[in-house]
Amino acid sequence: MVIMEKETEHPAPPFEPQKVAEPEPQEKAMITVSDVDFSYGAHQVLFDVNLEIPPRAVTAFIGPSGCGKTTLLRCFNRMNDLIDGAHVSAGRIELEGHDINAPDIDVVELRRRVGMVFQKSNPFPKSIYDNVAYGLRVLGATKKSRINEAVEKSLRAAALWGEVKDRLDSSAYGLSGGQQQRLCIARALAVEPEVILMDEPCSALDPIATAKVEELIYQLRENFTIVIVTHNMQQAGRCSNYTAFFYLGRLIEFGATSKIFSNPSERQTEDYITGRFG
Amino acid sequence: MLSEQKHTLGTFEHALENLRNNVMMMASQTERSLNRALKGLMDRDDKLAALAIADDEEIDQLEKQIDKDGIDLLLRFQPVASDLRRVVSAMKLSSNLERMADQATNIARKARKLNKHPALPEILLLNPMIDHAMAMFRDSVDAYIREDAQAARAIIPQDDALDKMNAQVSRQLIDRMARDPEQLRGYINLMFVARHLERVGDHATNIAEDAVYAAAAEDIRHQQVAATA
Repeated sequence: MVIMEKETEHPAPPFEPQKVAEPEPQEKAMITVSDVDFSYGAHQVLFDVNLEIPPRAVTAFIGPSGCGKTTLLRCFNRMNDLIDGAHVSAGRIELEGHDINAPDIDVVELRRRVGMVFQKSNPFPKSIYDNVAYGLRVLGATKKSRINEAVEKSLRAAALWGEVKDRLDSSAYGLSGGQQQRLCIARALAVEPEVILMDEPCSALDPIATAKVEELIYQLRENFTIVIVTHNMQQAGRCSNYTAFFYLGRLIEFGATSKIFSNPSERQTEDYITGRFG
Repeated sequence: MLSEQKHTLGTFEHALENLRNNVMMMASQTERSLNRALKGLMDRDDKLAALAIADDEEIDQLEKQIDKDGIDLLLRFQPVASDLRRVVSAMKLSSNLERMADQATNIARKARKLNKHPALPEILLLNPMIDHAMAMFRDSVDAYIREDAQAARAIIPQDDALDKMNAQVSRQLIDRMARDPEQLRGYINLMFVARHLERVGDHATNIAEDAVYAAAAEDIRHQQVAATA
């Protein structure tokens, strides 16, 4: 095709280019990690990690297997306490300015504030309703109307209400894998946490179920602080605001997801996200 | 930041390499087409001009192939960071090369028109523009291939010089028209050739901007507009 050029050119009218808003971590961090080392017995797996998790945003942890991302995630609600010999050997982790490893911390209350969703959905062998109500009952809620309200609210927030509202008394095991994972998210939401930790929440789901959970994660960020560990780079790109890249137990780079996936500052990050190692 | 290391996924590496080779091939064919058109003009060689016009079809097909390969690569591998910039810039580069090849065709057509009449000595006024535009073309493609952002940046200001040359040649030819209206048609065709060369410089500038984006992740387009807005 040959195009004859126009002989005259008109100056373009002045305009304001539209800029895509990029969230800036201006608010005080929800979780602050300072100089943290972590060991399983004598084996150190995290080295001098410093990180501030912004509130009401999705932060993705990425990195090759064994880089320490899940270990750090599990530090945030002290899930590692359940493993013999596992301990934060140096540094400090704060939730809204309070040391979560301080002796006077109520771990049950910490885990209410910092909920968790696991890689494989793990509903209890109970009804859909009882699964969501479980945490509330553990916390002492007895009033039926309050529990009903919380169950509906949580299931709606987890984008599951429409699919299960007519069978709340059915076993949770009758749900599909994707529905079970959203049920687990609803269960986590029911106790009104401030932070939700997700450890590869879509790794066992099909693409449609994955899309639903990702959409949910994106919506939940308006009200919750979400930290997600994922091996799926596209998923981190799609649903997170910030990304932290870990390698061999060290935090290599942390920043806005758009920056990490378009022009990372560190060579190791670039090589990992472009599939050159890992 | 650009990585030298190879991808774990060999098919991805191969697809990127293939895209890059096609861009290099398209650049080399575009350069050949421009050289043929300009030599056809200066040496009054209709055969070369015809070859330049014939080159266009092949270059158009390469543009389509690069777009197809680029889209296929985006679809299959969802590249990020420098890989994404490489794919996007390759697709933009092919569009600029295709339009440069159009300029070669335009020049070749003007050459055939001019060759039907006695030679005009004023054709020599175009020589500095030809040298400048072709140097811009070669340097911009070279900067892109070598992923050299610094060399690419150095090309941008050269476009102003080419614009000034074009304005000067136009003034000189308008002056000749007034003095020798008999040669009006020939002078107008020479003015068109100058204009086509000026457009080659514009496309070389675009390529240099894309080279900076690919190598340094920086968008340096329209900076004057942004600064005055």
